[in-house]
Amino acid sequence: MVSVIEKKNRKFKEIDYYQNNELTNYFLLPFRFQKINSNKEILVNEVGDFLLVPIGTAEKIILKKITKSENETLYFDLISSFFISEEAIPPLLNVLEARYRTKKSFLDQFTALHIFVISLRCEHTCHYCQVSRVTENKDQFDMSLYNIDEGIKIMMKSPNPHVTMEFQGGEALLAFNNIKYAVLKAKEEALLNEKHITFVICTNLAPLTDDMLPFIKEHNIMISSSLDGPAFIHNQNRHRPQRNSYEVTIEGLKKCRENLGEDNISALLTTTNLSLDYPGEIVDEYVQQGFRNIFLRPISPYGFATYNEKKNKYQTEKFLAFYKAAFEKIIDYNIQGYYIREDYATVILKKILTPFPVGYVDLQSPAGMINNVIVFNYDGKIYASDEARMLAEMNDFTFQLGTLGKSTYNDIFYGEKAMKISESWANESLAGCSECAFQPYCGADPVLNYATQGNMYGYRPTSVFCQKNMEIIRYLFDLMEDKSIEKLFRSWITGHSE
Amino acid sequence: MKIILKNDSQLHLSINEDLYNENVLFKCFYWYGSDYNIDIDKNKKQYVVIITSKSSTKIDHDHLLLKIKQDLIDFKLRDIVTKETKNIRELLTAKAFAHFQTDENPLTEISDPVGFDPTKF
Repeated sequence: MVSVIEKKNRKFKEIDYYQNNELTNYFLLPFRFQKINSNKEILVNEVGDFLLVPIGTAEKIILKKITKSENETLYFDLISSFFISEEAIPPLLNVLEARYRTKKSFLDQFTALHIFVISLRCEHTCHYCQVSRVTENKDQFDMSLYNIDEGIKIMMKSPNPHVTMEFQGGEALLAFNNIKYAVLKAKEEALLNEKHITFVICTNLAPLTDDMLPFIKEHNIMISSSLDGPAFIHNQNRHRPQRNSYEVTIEGLKKCRENLGEDNISALLTTTNLSLDYPGEIVDEYVQQGFRNIFLRPISPYGFATYNEKKNKYQTEKFLAFYKAAFEKIIDYNIQGYYIREDYATVILKKILTPFPVGYVDLQSPAGMINNVIVFNYDGKIYASDEARMLAEMNDFTFQLGTLGKSTYNDIFYGEKAMKISESWANESLAGCSECAFQPYCGADPVLNYATQGNMYGYRPTSVFCQKNMEIIRYLFDLMEDKSIEKLFRSWITGHSE
Repeated sequence: MKIILKNDSQLHLSINEDLYNENVLFKCFYWYGSDYNIDIDKNKKQYVVIITSKSSTKIDHDHLLLKIKQDLIDFKLRDIVTKETKNIRELLTAKAFAHFQTDENPLTEISDPVGFDPTKF
């Protein structure tokens, strides 16, 4: 970088210098384009900056038909946003490099999220869940103290100074004593290794008792719960012998809010076939329960949608219709004055509207698995992601990276399996993605490709991941043409209404 | 682009290689793979593209041809950008990840908006 001292003269040039209308021989910089609706197309450069322009503009730019005199505003927009340059190497290339580096800065610190499947036991029998067991057998289905210790050792070796220890199940609270042991042990080790740890318990809240709350509060543990909608959906999705899953969840939410504060409790929506018919009712329920965010997650394809192109496409179409209907309802609530944001859109909007990366593991390139998340299963097996462990429950161990206590850090994170996965984890080098305008906002998911299409590389024309994300991103840009909606979207990113 | 054959389940096209190169053709017809089986062959300077419907519904030739024409143009434009910007993209990625270190101590705190030489002070 040239310092001010080396640069002896930085006087402003005469006005004529900037108004050189003769110059039409510009150079293209890397960008991609995509039709958004019947009138507009989008241009997106290498760092995710975008311009919404009339259809046909990309063609004019690429065929060098844009002139400074006739298309002054567009021309200078293209120069300032790094779509074209008047010099072969743009003078501000350093700025573009810094922007690119920033977009990929989630790679700097490496793995943050360490999921500990603390127990596979659960007292629910949800029909969509392939992993949990209804059993009293703690020895067989709870994570042993040895495996907890070994998992913490691996977590402490992460180069990331900020790590998250997330307890999952089954139902994590059924092994609350092990959670207590793990939290205290991890805190001890964190002091020695100068790490900052965030703790999260994923729970359906049914086993939550009053005597658990002081420990959860003392150690500032976040609670991530589940709410699938109103009682008739939630209870249908989440079977319990007493058929009262909804009631115990609502009671648990209330207790957590009172004892831990609003900010330490969140709820996730699991979309099922039943949910798809009730987008409005689900959003209403979240508002009724006082939530300020809702995460419209797609139906998990693990277990039911493998290798069936037609069914996958149909399911995704149905989900997209559900998503849009629920999204409209969310926008309506905001217009009426109740602030509530949709989390999946917010992740994408952060990528679109800010220069920064987003720590959401399912929408990253290189993919979040291994780079941002690792899973330690109850039995000591280590997986590349939560979905990879679900595949293992279906007896497919393709994404098993090692075993706690046996595999070294290098074996797990830089071993042959990790190298193999890495060949398909960057959308920049995937067929169909490499020239897609939405590439900077999207990600790669080798586990999903493998589960739904039989290989990690995947095939974009029939990919549920591609079908879903392409349409949601297009939909968001389409909505953003309305400036009041864009303003609302910006408030979702910043958390401020202005 | 010439139509060689069209019937209920198939469409055969011939495409001049001077207009659309192999990269453009493959990238364009890749996206037709969800609904059609695609065969691409070459006969002298013409590519022969055989499109066969995967379903039992009749091909809407007018709609399909219009889409193919638009897509071929779009992918040709993308190919121009890819080729023209190959070096700058490589340069950008390489420099972005090449041993980046921030300057811990800025060399000067003097701002220089009007072009005087701060070393003279």
